[in-house]
Amino acid sequence: MVSLVLAGVGGQGIITVANIVGKAALIEGKNALMTELHGMAQRGGKIVVEVRIGDYKSAIIPARSADIMLAFEELEGARNLSKLKESGVILLNRRMIHPVSLTMKIQDYPEGIVAEALSKYKTINVEADQIAMNLGNKRVANTAMIGATFSTGLLNLGEESLITAIKESLPEKHWDINMKAFEQGKILPAFETAKVA
Amino acid sequence: MAYDLLLGSEGKMEFLLGNEAVVRGLYEAGVSVAAAYPGTPSSEIGDVLYKLSDRIGIKFEFSTNEKVALEVASAASAGGLRSFVFMKHVGLNVAMDSFVSLSGAGVKGGMVVFSADDPSMHSSQNEQDNRFLGKFARTIVIEPSSPQELKDYIVHAFDISEEIGHPVLIRSVTRISHVRAPVRLGERREKNEWKYKKSASLVLLPENAYKAQMSIANRLEKVRSSKYNGILNSVYGDSSTLIITSGAAYNYIDEALQMLNLKARILKIGLSFPLDQEMILKEVEKAERVIFIEEGGPFLEEQVLSLCAIRSINKKFYGKINGSISTSYEMDVDRVAGFLSEIYGIPFQTKTQNLNLPERAPVLCPGCPHRATYYVAKLAMKQRGIQNAIVPTDIGCYSLGYYEPYQLGDYCFSMGSSVGSSSGFTIEAKERVVSFIGDSTFFHAGIPGLINAYHNNHNFVLVIMDNYVTAMTGGQPTPETTPPFKRVDIESVVRGIGIKNVYSMDPYDLKNSLDTFKKALDSNELAVIISKRECALEVDRKRAPSEAKVFQINQDKCNLCYNCVKNFTCAAFYVDEGRVYIDPELCDGCSVCSEPLVCPFNAIEVKP
Repeated sequence: MVSLVLAGVGGQGIITVANIVGKAALIEGKNALMTELHGMAQRGGKIVVEVRIGDYKSAIIPARSADIMLAFEELEGARNLSKLKESGVILLNRRMIHPVSLTMKIQDYPEGIVAEALSKYKTINVEADQIAMNLGNKRVANTAMIGATFSTGLLNLGEESLITAIKESLPEKHWDINMKAFEQGKILPAFETAKVA
Repeated sequence: MAYDLLLGSEGKMEFLLGNEAVVRGLYEAGVSVAAAYPGTPSSEIGDVLYKLSDRIGIKFEFSTNEKVALEVASAASAGGLRSFVFMKHVGLNVAMDSFVSLSGAGVKGGMVVFSADDPSMHSSQNEQDNRFLGKFARTIVIEPSSPQELKDYIVHAFDISEEIGHPVLIRSVTRISHVRAPVRLGERREKNEWKYKKSASLVLLPENAYKAQMSIANRLEKVRSSKYNGILNSVYGDSSTLIITSGAAYNYIDEALQMLNLKARILKIGLSFPLDQEMILKEVEKAERVIFIEEGGPFLEEQVLSLCAIRSINKKFYGKINGSISTSYEMDVDRVAGFLSEIYGIPFQTKTQNLNLPERAPVLCPGCPHRATYYVAKLAMKQRGIQNAIVPTDIGCYSLGYYEPYQLGDYCFSMGSSVGSSSGFTIEAKERVVSFIGDSTFFHAGIPGLINAYHNNHNFVLVIMDNYVTAMTGGQPTPETTPPFKRVDIESVVRGIGIKNVYSMDPYDLKNSLDTFKKALDSNELAVIISKRECALEVDRKRAPSEAKVFQINQDKCNLCYNCVKNFTCAAFYVDEGRVYIDPELCDGCSVCSEPLVCPFNAIEVKP
């Protein structure tokens, strides 16, 4: 039984990641549920996806009971911390997407508040966007996040199942680059409480 | 190919979105015809059907609105074919006229009307519970709880509909249609043959309608005693507390009880109108107290309580009517646990925390032509000294014009309401009325309003924001989409009404658009601006990422006037220590911000 909350901004490929994790669970004969919320905006709005693997009926995770958070964007990670249990682990993609409400008022990204909120949890920084940029396609950052999630061992899913699910979800011409992103995402910094800023 | 997994053989397990499971259900049920107008949370059904219709042999169309879609489907059913129409909850309001009459006419081929309700209004203007509309129209109402049940119950719904000769309303909600779960695929049925027979029951003139009332009652009575109650309703658990539930709300109860260390007997209703009265009363009589947990209004609760009143059954009843359970917003495990703890009188604290974080309001995409239209509209009004315009807007991505900095949108109810309300405002308003509507919404419900405005001499400026697509629901076609469809030209429609002041403009061309707006504002009779530019996401979908330019700010030229972030406000801009930057990953390359009307210092340039 494992619950994941994935948070970020529209356009980051978050739903695809959740779908892949759910498929991988099904490949292993496990029950998986996933629910997504993406409001009115087609791009740039906040997105929350919840995935639960195990004998659940509710796809919505109760407060303070998610085991892992995949924060694709820092502020959105912080916004959804109430889902994460105290011993939960955050996989933090070091990406800041400035909310328009701040930019419009000539205000900076709220790095301080976000860092403080995240610092109360075990946080693993993942350079998913950097990995994707280096591979030459910014769209594969999400696959790097899957690799990182696998590496924590918390998912309780086999590498083979995840790779099969990735391939089932993407056209064959994108397999190579996504496999590379997955491999590079797997290499995690030491599993420790990291300072965010 | 995408969605191939929906065509798998019987017994296969697939990880499906609720709305994808619906399409598999249609395939299994031998449906011949389906129609819809897109609306979240039902939209994916159409996306999948649109791509798969040829391969699964379902004739599918996006109709101009829900009422037309329902009529398309009901005619197919009159010809003996199984037919399906789907919509978001408020779409059923549009289809209501024909929907109510459909019960009287009855159906030949099975017919299912699918409503995806949106409790908590994740993407809607209200959270109406369409089970009440199903009962009001006296259709059969069925409620699945999961993607698996969505698929299975669709097949059952067609069986019931065809056997009884009556339409079925299936009620889903966001947390079923937008949930993914493993779904076991089932066997497929043969389709029906076309067999149309003239019948007085299909012509609801008073004489025939009079007779139809009795037929409705008879058909519903047959459902009450049918085998389908046994298939769609279930009961388990041993306790003197009975929880009556249905739909998505059911999913939260077991876990909430477990959290609180409580027990209850659970009666899960799948066939929620007309109810299997005897079975339910038997359960109620055995219980000491009865709790109703439903997604939406007290639908089962009202029916069961009135039944108990007739039979003089007096128990402790808890639900939305006595205030034990909130009548608003969607349920989840925490909320259900909270309500149960109050009813059982045991402590429970939801473990939420409040961080004071800046909001991320929904925004128009980088490159969105609506942003350019709004920017120019504000500028034109400012230059003409119009400070207090009344701005009715409509349902679509452009509703986001309501937010800062544009704040164009101060009246928005329903599809097409911008045009009708504009007529109303101009009757007595001293203010200038400038209203906004999208292309798909214009076709859906804007045209009658515009005819009304012209005919009754109302003077306002209507801006039709034409991005050639139904954008907010994910890019479905509109009546302008070709091929293989025939293209309906908006300007010809508007001119055909007789309106003379019609202007077409490309919003990316800010200078010309500004002039156009000013001309329209200067007009002393009804003026229509058609702002034409393809949705930026559609452009993205068609081009290779390498084709897109990326812009940057030349920091030497930027003199920090902040016009770009304060008034144009593209989501790709950001500010860091007082300087403005463009996030290269977000920039769409539309180039509009580099126009002198946005950046008079020519500081925004293509990134080399």
